[in-house]
Amino acid sequence: MGESNNDSGTWKAVALLAGAVLLFACAGSFSRAEAKRAHPERIPVRFWHMWTAEWKVVVERICTRFNESQDRYEVIPLSVPPGNADAKFMLAVAGGDPPDVMAQWNQVIPNWAEAGLIVPLDELMQPEELQRFNAEAYPIVRKIGSYKNRLYGITTGLNIWACYYRPDHVRAAGLDPDHFPETMDELVQWEDKLVRFDAGKHLQRMAYQPGFYTLYPALYGGGFYDDATGRLQLNTPQNRAALEFLVERRSKFGFDEVVRFESGLNASYGMDWPFISGAYSIAVDGQWRVEQIAKFAPNLEYRTAPIPPPRGGKKHATWSCGNFMIVPSGAKQPQGALEFIKFWSGIANPERAGEFYTWGGWLPLSPAVAASSHYRKYLAEHPQFKVFLEILPSEDVQPTPPVPYQMFLWDRISQAEQSAVRGTLSPADALARLDREMTQELARRKELGHDD
Amino acid sequence: MKKRDLTGFAFISPWLIGFAVFTAAPFLATIYLSFTRYNIVTPPVWVGSVNYRRLFTEDELFWKSLWITVKYALVAVPLGVVAGVALAMLLNLPLKGMALYRTLFYLPSIVPVVATTVVFVWLLNPQIGLVNAILQRFGVIGPAWLQDTKWAFWSLVFMSLWGVGGSMVIYIAGLKDIPAQLYEAAMIDGAGVLARTRHITLPMLSPVIFFNLVMGVIQAFQYFSQAYIMTQGGPENSTSFYALYLFYRAWRYMDMGYASAMSWVLFLIIMLVTGLIFRTHKKWVHYGG
Repeated sequence: MGESNNDSGTWKAVALLAGAVLLFACAGSFSRAEAKRAHPERIPVRFWHMWTAEWKVVVERICTRFNESQDRYEVIPLSVPPGNADAKFMLAVAGGDPPDVMAQWNQVIPNWAEAGLIVPLDELMQPEELQRFNAEAYPIVRKIGSYKNRLYGITTGLNIWACYYRPDHVRAAGLDPDHFPETMDELVQWEDKLVRFDAGKHLQRMAYQPGFYTLYPALYGGGFYDDATGRLQLNTPQNRAALEFLVERRSKFGFDEVVRFESGLNASYGMDWPFISGAYSIAVDGQWRVEQIAKFAPNLEYRTAPIPPPRGGKKHATWSCGNFMIVPSGAKQPQGALEFIKFWSGIANPERAGEFYTWGGWLPLSPAVAASSHYRKYLAEHPQFKVFLEILPSEDVQPTPPVPYQMFLWDRISQAEQSAVRGTLSPADALARLDREMTQELARRKELGHDD
Repeated sequence: MKKRDLTGFAFISPWLIGFAVFTAAPFLATIYLSFTRYNIVTPPVWVGSVNYRRLFTEDELFWKSLWITVKYALVAVPLGVVAGVALAMLLNLPLKGMALYRTLFYLPSIVPVVATTVVFVWLLNPQIGLVNAILQRFGVIGPAWLQDTKWAFWSLVFMSLWGVGGSMVIYIAGLKDIPAQLYEAAMIDGAGVLARTRHITLPMLSPVIFFNLVMGVIQAFQYFSQAYIMTQGGPENSTSFYALYLFYRAWRYMDMGYASAMSWVLFLIIMLVTGLIFRTHKKWVHYGG
């Protein structure tokens, strides 16, 4: 009897286990099931991106347009939370089930190319396509997408920063909005006249919100990377001068006072941008704000101008980044991915793609896209956008250094900036520390056998 | 092995398999990985002790993040124990409506960490946050909290008290277990409130305090989510906790070998500290009976 009970118990346990396995299998098959597809007969191209809210709508519109133009592929977009997207992507590639194409904006190309996570797009492109791309795309587009002379990313929207300024503030301060400063010295003079304090002598309005450090070294003829030697250049006189300028923008009002003032501002998108509310008279920001102002504050009077260089510095020199498309190693439909990339970026048809760029307020891939009828119409409607387009072709627009430790370098530069603009270290000491940290990191990588 | 044993193993096999595949195997793999260069995509390359040597001799941020984490364990854990015990003693008083108070104090600990953290970001906003608004009523201009290198760490310590309700419930259960006759005898002998607390409550509660202390220390060394959401280690690395730095090394810089070495250092530290607490427990933990 006891033996029989045991037998029955074992069988029950086995049955339970089998049930559990079945449940897992079902869960697995459910998780693999795609959302209901509009074109199930076509080859699916799985597309990951990190846009949410209003941006997600724009991206999905572009995907719909692509699908309408096709009879072979169907792009299936998936918005992945930006905080986890990189880790998710790496695990997906390592696990052998990556998307076919991903839109990125983090500094990942050198690192991921070095690790074999992404494939060179020039391998997928036809020779004449590649030739045309190299001939037509803006210099910065090629720089951002390349690593070790191979093309890994194609931009579908570049970002350039410039000054947004409020003519109402400028006039009230007795200045002429038609003559925006052409040098940093003049800008400092404007700053003194535009800043406002409340009765308690606390900042009420900042004259100049300078953005962040990496925008400035190029204006001084500096930068973080020497293309000719392929080496970092961090603690240089030009880079120090740029950081000193940034530090002075804060030290003259008090580091703590500026931190306190800025922490009360919600610098997110839309109506919350402090420039719209009048907390800043001049704010350095990206071109996408033009589209946002048009949407959220269409009656706001504002103008744009390039960040003025120092005397003897370079005009139209800055740092740029962008949204770019990459194709992971192990993608099941790399050609479908390339079709989609060409469609969105404008390599396939600049005239058609011009419209997509205007939806997101993005800067184009090439002059051909900029010359499209949609883009010209957009510029006529938003003349403030022209400034960004004028900066774009400059050879002095720099990308983040194309090194495989880009994220580490970026974080260390950011640390140096923080220490300097908070007054913890002098600009010279902050850059000396940056130099030391990177020297150590490079030595470590060399010892580990990295080929940097 | 008897059939009955097999039945038992069959029942617990989902957990056993899960533990073996998702915990034990990665745990053991990190021993090997910590001696390699590894980015999860290409096969690991053996590099010997480089990761450990560089970690101990050249990585300033490693030492800084270790110190920040130790400091947090030294401050936040005892603070949590004191606050938890004090709250439990107050909520153990025979007053009307006590069940409601206990519920109210326990509620914050069941709110998800992410939700709590986001709320605290707003509470601690120097310009429009509630904390500084209250301080201003008393004529105090509050600091910039999370944006201030001197205050960001202490803001996180302060925030840790928000979840004290979880341990408080365990302390209340411990207090309920203390035999009433001990207090009666003490009162007959003329012991006051302080004497009863000192000589009865705390010694009888010491096993529960010990449990919470050990768990608190382990959690403190693994402190991550709040710093990741609120400060990302800033300003100027003042909240760069060990687990956060480890995460960045692994997933931001794709340096899995280095991160594995860091994880083993962390594991050994936790084992060491827990071992030390266990060694001292005979001196101060009293098991009734």
